[in-house]
Amino acid sequence: MAASRGAVVLKTVKKIIVQFCPFESNVRSTREFLIMVGSEKVRGTNMNCEVITAVKHDRSEPTIDITFLDGERLVMKGSKLTTQEMLSALQTRCSAKDPQAKIGDKK
Amino acid sequence: MAATLCGRLLPKAGWLPLTQSVRHGSKAVTRHRKPVHFLKQKLLAVTEYIPPIPAAPPGALVRRVRKTEEESTLAVLLRKDLETLFKECKMIAVVQNNAINAEDLLQLKHKLKRHNISIKFFPNQVTRSFLNNSIYSNMLPLFVGQTVIFVSKEPKVKEMLQALRRSPQMVLLGACIENTLLSYQGILNYSKLPSMTTIQGELVGGLTMMTSQTVSMLRHHPAHLSALLQQYVKQQGSGDATNAITNKDASTVQEAAA
Repeated sequence: MAASRGAVVLKTVKKIIVQFCPFESNVRSTREFLIMVGSEKVRGTNMNCEVITAVKHDRSEPTIDITFLDGERLVMKGSKLTTQEMLSALQTRCSAKDPQAKIGDKK
Repeated sequence: MAATLCGRLLPKAGWLPLTQSVRHGSKAVTRHRKPVHFLKQKLLAVTEYIPPIPAAPPGALVRRVRKTEEESTLAVLLRKDLETLFKECKMIAVVQNNAINAEDLLQLKHKLKRHNISIKFFPNQVTRSFLNNSIYSNMLPLFVGQTVIFVSKEPKVKEMLQALRRSPQMVLLGACIENTLLSYQGILNYSKLPSMTTIQGELVGGLTMMTSQTVSMLRHHPAHLSALLQQYVKQQGSGDATNAITNKDASTVQEAAA
């Protein structure tokens, strides 16, 4: 359950902003995503990546805003998503960007 | 067989028998397994033995009732602990920790101990079962995932916020200060509140402001007049020679009178 196919590699991620309201009932997946992303292993893959949490109380949806190194932004609205879906989406995008950079370097 | 039959049953030419067996049948006792005649097969099928269905064993049909698990004694102990905590401590803050380091945790504990704030870990299930039965049921949605509780007898919010600023992994979710549930913004506002004495002073000042204003307004005219007259007397006494000053005085007195 924790991580499929290994932990997420955050090498291409610049910033992750997680915003939620803890008194709402639909924030469970967002909070779990935050725990996963904030864990030691995952943070260790990229020490420059900042994980910022914003705790609000305005009944807004929980959102996760990820900024990549090449400027692309991934916004996920976590109220109806599960943690696994969000993690896998992030993983696919990270791995899609990562080998490109690696292959480019090697060549 | 057909040949033998034909020989016997057709004495006159042109007379066909009633039945004609087409197949060259085998004899009754054969070396191989003789296929059962169709009629016999049908009979056997109809008269097959159907054994009676055995009744289900007594345990199988009983409804699966979920055993109400008895709470382990540890959970009971922890719950009692929680109860005492909630009764004693005025401030209870709920913080989510995203994998804080052990050393960071120690440092945080140290900083908070200075202000008598203790960090407590409780399993979520225990806290949830406790909160369900108590008046603090609105705190239930806070306790999801890895949470830590900061408890203290005095609501020292500023110091707590300062200590938490150093460790970015601890996310402050909410707090119950003096039986009022506060969100993150509420906690920030609470920390900016001045102390009780200043508030009381401000309140008293605000209440008496209206009455003091009316009093001062009522006294304004005679006070002004008396001040001017005093000044006039002084100047009369000191500068009798200079007429300009007395003229000035007269004009100011006229203005005041008007």
